[in-house]
Amino acid sequence: MARVPIVRIGDTLVATVLEDLHDRDASALETELFGRLEQSGANGVLLDLSVVEIVDSFLGRMLNDIAVGVRLLGAQMVVVGIQPAVAITLVELGLELRGVRTAVNPDRGITLLRRLAAASGITDKIAGFGGSRGGNC
Amino acid sequence: MSNQDRMTDIIDQQRQTISELQTPVIQVWDRILALPIVGSLDTARTADMNEALLQRIVDTGSEIVILDITAVPIVDTSVAKHLLETISAARLLGAEVFLVGLSTRTAITLVHLGVELAGVVTRTTMAKGLELAFARLGLEVVARRGSKASAALPLDEDGA
Repeated sequence: MARVPIVRIGDTLVATVLEDLHDRDASALETELFGRLEQSGANGVLLDLSVVEIVDSFLGRMLNDIAVGVRLLGAQMVVVGIQPAVAITLVELGLELRGVRTAVNPDRGITLLRRLAAASGITDKIAGFGGSRGGNC
Repeated sequence: MSNQDRMTDIIDQQRQTISELQTPVIQVWDRILALPIVGSLDTARTADMNEALLQRIVDTGSEIVILDITAVPIVDTSVAKHLLETISAARLLGAEVFLVGLSTRTAITLVHLGVELAGVVTRTTMAKGLELAFARLGLEVVARRGSKASAALPLDEDGA
């Protein structure tokens, strides 16, 4: 399986994909992520795809499925670091991932998660991310 | 060099110049990019535009892109499709896109063609788009004390 370490930072699970994901890796990631989410009670997931260079329709669909699953488990997911070429491929495949929230980099992703958590009334307890940016509301 | 060769050279040069002019991605503010589109959009141009825009979004970490179609003469289904591609791709990178510069004629054409641009935030002018962008980022434009100019337009958040 492709290496996807999942670490918990405060109330957020950070999953960093370290190499291209194949079909089986994506399914394994889904299972692992849901397991960790259920077990840790985290309310946010940050999925970093910045090293992913190859996507196909299966992976696109998996991303959507993972987002839905995360929501069902009572958390929010933000996908960060999608590369331009990957974005274009997904759009050409007709996978606009409307159900998936995105941010340009992990920093913006964390800010967005904090905002989403605040909007849903969850107190934010993310350790080490005390400084909020101007756009935070 | 024959006359025809010279003409071909000139045409090539001009084509090159035009294609360079076509996709200027401007950083108008921290985290805000603007892309004024001049002329019509075809597949090749959309591809160039997407490439330039998406790379700029990543490089600058921008959260908002204002696509200005004031200077696009005709917005038909094919142009709309290309715009939607750009908007979707930018969104996947985490940037929100506002489409500005829609004229009455464009709105009527799109409605008649059945293109509703669902889920796309649209405004009539660049100024309104910029104002909405500031609002999204929690920024405010205020007139300096003692100045008569009222810099701030009335806020409208209906497209949220």
